[in-house]
Amino acid sequence: MATTATDSALANFLAHSLELESEARERYGELAESMDAHHNRPVADFFRRMAAEAEHHLQEVAALAGHMTLPQLKAWEFDWPDAEPPETASYEALHYRMSLRQAMQLALANEHAAERYYREFANRTGDAGTAAVANRFADEERGHAAELERMIAALPASGLHLREEDDEPHMPE
Amino acid sequence: MTDAIRLKAKDYKSEVKPIWCPGCGHFSVHNAITKAMAALGIDKDRTVLVSGIGCSSRLPAYVDSYGFHGVHGRGLAIAQGLKVARPDLTVLALGGDGDGFSIGGNHFIHACRRNVDITYIAMDNEVYGMTKGQASPTTPMDWDHSKLTPHGPGVRPFKPAALALASGAPWIARGYSGNPNQIAKLIAEAVEFPGFSFLHVMSQCITFCPEQTDWKAIVTESEAPPLADADEAAKQFLHEDGFQTGLLYREQRATWPPPGATAAEEGAPGELAAAFRV
Amino acid sequence: MSTRYLSIAITGAGGAGVISCGELLLRAWAREGGRGLLRKAYGPQIRGGESAALLKLTADERYTAASRYDAVVALDWDNFTRFEDEIVLDADSWVLCDEAQALPPAVVAAGARVVHVPFDELAAACHPEGRVNMLALGVLGRLLGLPATTLAELAGQKLAGKPRDYRDAATACIELGAARDIACQLPVPPLGNKGAWYLSGNQAAGLGALEAGIRFVAAYPITPASDVLEWMAGGLERVGGQLVQAEDELAAINMTIGAAFGGVPAFTATSGPGLALMTESIGLAVASETPVTILNVMRGGPSTGIPTKSEQSDLNIALHGLHGDAPHLVLAPLDIADCVFTTGWAVQLAQRLQTAAIVLSDQFIGQSTAIVSEPRRCAPFAATPAQDPGEEGAYLRYRLTGSGVSALASPGDAGHRFTADGLEHNEKGTPSSRQSDHQRQLAKRQDKLTAFDFGGDWAQIDGDGPVALVSFGSSAAAVTEAANQLAESGVATRVISLRLLAPLQTAALAAALEGCSRVFVVEQNHGGQLFHYLRGQLDFGQPVHSYALAGPVPLSPENIAQAVATVIAEATRS
Repeated sequence: MATTATDSALANFLAHSLELESEARERYGELAESMDAHHNRPVADFFRRMAAEAEHHLQEVAALAGHMTLPQLKAWEFDWPDAEPPETASYEALHYRMSLRQAMQLALANEHAAERYYREFANRTGDAGTAAVANRFADEERGHAAELERMIAALPASGLHLREEDDEPHMPE
Repeated sequence: MTDAIRLKAKDYKSEVKPIWCPGCGHFSVHNAITKAMAALGIDKDRTVLVSGIGCSSRLPAYVDSYGFHGVHGRGLAIAQGLKVARPDLTVLALGGDGDGFSIGGNHFIHACRRNVDITYIAMDNEVYGMTKGQASPTTPMDWDHSKLTPHGPGVRPFKPAALALASGAPWIARGYSGNPNQIAKLIAEAVEFPGFSFLHVMSQCITFCPEQTDWKAIVTESEAPPLADADEAAKQFLHEDGFQTGLLYREQRATWPPPGATAAEEGAPGELAAAFRV
Repeated sequence: MSTRYLSIAITGAGGAGVISCGELLLRAWAREGGRGLLRKAYGPQIRGGESAALLKLTADERYTAASRYDAVVALDWDNFTRFEDEIVLDADSWVLCDEAQALPPAVVAAGARVVHVPFDELAAACHPEGRVNMLALGVLGRLLGLPATTLAELAGQKLAGKPRDYRDAATACIELGAARDIACQLPVPPLGNKGAWYLSGNQAAGLGALEAGIRFVAAYPITPASDVLEWMAGGLERVGGQLVQAEDELAAINMTIGAAFGGVPAFTATSGPGLALMTESIGLAVASETPVTILNVMRGGPSTGIPTKSEQSDLNIALHGLHGDAPHLVLAPLDIADCVFTTGWAVQLAQRLQTAAIVLSDQFIGQSTAIVSEPRRCAPFAATPAQDPGEEGAYLRYRLTGSGVSALASPGDAGHRFTADGLEHNEKGTPSSRQSDHQRQLAKRQDKLTAFDFGGDWAQIDGDGPVALVSFGSSAAAVTEAANQLAESGVATRVISLRLLAPLQTAALAAALEGCSRVFVVEQNHGGQLFHYLRGQLDFGQPVHSYALAGPVPLSPENIAQAVATVIAEATRS
């Protein structure tokens, strides 16, 4: 079957979207485990939820791709606006005593970045079909962001010095 | 010290006679050390020569001063511990290329970095002489005279001057055993320099590397003043042939100890104990 | 259940501040004249892991690990399973915890009495920066009869660098906890004299070394010895000494030797893996007769082993790890307070005998904190008749003398120049491969140790019974406790706790064992290292048994007593 320009554009887009969602799922999963190991239950649970959402969206994208042949790119061959895909929370942004509010704000920034990415992709691509899909994805991300904003607003007030700990760091080896 | 009682170089030699092979370059370094000590009027009782293991490490016994003949590769650690505890002493560390750049490599790097006020003379004959001729970290890649590496080491040799520079040594010089007077001058300057001075002496091994007698044809004496810019020095040290002699690099850098050390307090040990009382 | 001690475990995770709570409680208890021990247990995380503060409040200063716990205060139950083998509970135990979290099955199975304290809720309601550990501190303080003002004062000192409202929250939570009536009663041990000391074995060893004259330390960090070096860094600065952080243990021991050669008493501290690296150069100190002291805070071995747990498995390397015939000193402090005496003694012995001294402490005493009466010190050695190096130019550094000790000159001494050497040498110090020189110098280095009168401190000996219990270092406490239990069941013992392991005082040991019908050698390692050493050094007239159990769990007095009783019973039957 000959590959049309449309197919190419869409295939490239879907390849990127799949990578975006699967990286997000993996990353949120890792962060949840890290928070589990450091006994920050509320944040761990939240990151697990975010991983599940990413998985859900990943399945949607996979279904859309159907039996299309997608380009097989290495991790560093994808074209992202920053070093990592938009919805992938940075490892460095974490602290073992970060509050749920801080975790949610981190996720919110990710949703905004993902929305921006999809919106710009839609604007950049010359292919109408691809643009339509990209815009739909952008709308979904905006919906996620709105949900997070509601959750953040509903959080109780917390102390200023949550990161303070009385005990010294431990030398495990 | 008045001229009347000023010692001559030979007065700094001990009565122990060196057992190096005739033709060995280390004789020149021995000669140079005693000349430098005489020129500086150094107090024998306040001077310590510290070495590791190897032909060149035998040197302390041949000089009439205090000495410590330590284990392989650790002379620089002994020398630094000694100088830090007794800053009033003149401390010279000595050793070969195997002692200093192989087993002693880590201590060499950190000594350059720590900048304790000692002088380190590395006598480099590009071979392990005492153990009968194995390749060392400065042996040329294709030198195939060792049974241990019959096809040659096959890896590129270190450039000690470049290593010293990258590790932070503020004073780097090179000598050649064919010119003991130049070595003596450099040793005198090294001892007077406040900080870690690294003198890399190309010192031939007549027994295992007889071809090193050809060095005299390629050694050149630097006419330029020592570099003070690390960038320029890096370029030079990485690309040179390794046979340029003289003071090659010198910068001013704060010596050990780092700032913040305080003087002893009266009654302090008692106060330390008292701090544990509830 | 005896009121001789009260054991309390405080557990929690995620940065709850469990250890701080335990430390503050013990300090406050010390203020009132109490005695006690604090051990710490952790998960593998550097921050935010599960942790446990294990307190044993006692009527005396015999500090063994608790075999069961009277109370657990669980700030949360996260990963409590890590500690459940150690925090043994039974129907007489109390558990204070938040109702919100389910009890671990082990706690339920123990049948302990549970009292719910809503820690999270109370702390949050008390202050926006309120923390559960300070609340628990107040609660525990009340149960022990400690004034809340003392707790608040000590907490204030600990939190001195923190934000103002964080400190206020701590005070408020302590007061709230102290005001709360908890339906729980703990048997509180009687108080002792005030004016005691509060310190860890590592700090004690550092103090002993400094007081004995150490003024140079080379340091390479390793668990669990880094605390010693860090304490000494501060201490040395106060007394005008020097500390250099070395690039590795090989540099550390050689720097120590260099400083010692310069006449400055020098010291380093490490653990098993570091000692292994140092052995070649410790041999250099022995051969060149340069005085050095090396503290080995033993941990689980072999190789990387169990770095944060205690064991006594470095006896072999301390005794036999130097190549060649290299006699030297090996000592082992018996408890936290004894770290001051034994380390000080080791330093003085090393200086006097011009050799290497290896001091075998361990993680248990090194990193536990205890309240102790003023520790005994090692008195300064009387000066020997002046060991005159002799005329200038005729100095024999390694002169053969009656005592085996030859005068030691240092750089700066006029006319006594010499070169110290790892090579075998003659009396002058010139390298020599002659049999006569080797024989004489070997004998010199050995005889100077065996001829020395070490006095009565080589061991602590208690009791007169026919059953001898022999151990070394920190096993002393568990063995002594086992001896008490055996006495209660009619078995009289003689407890011999060895402080000086090399040179072994064989004549004195043989005399101490005279009249004993049976000997048990107790130690915390797998291979029976002390057992085999003693059997190689002594002709025992009586049966000798080995009780050798490796870490990570501390030796149990009950298990030791039971093992001894079983052997005796079997022997009696047959």
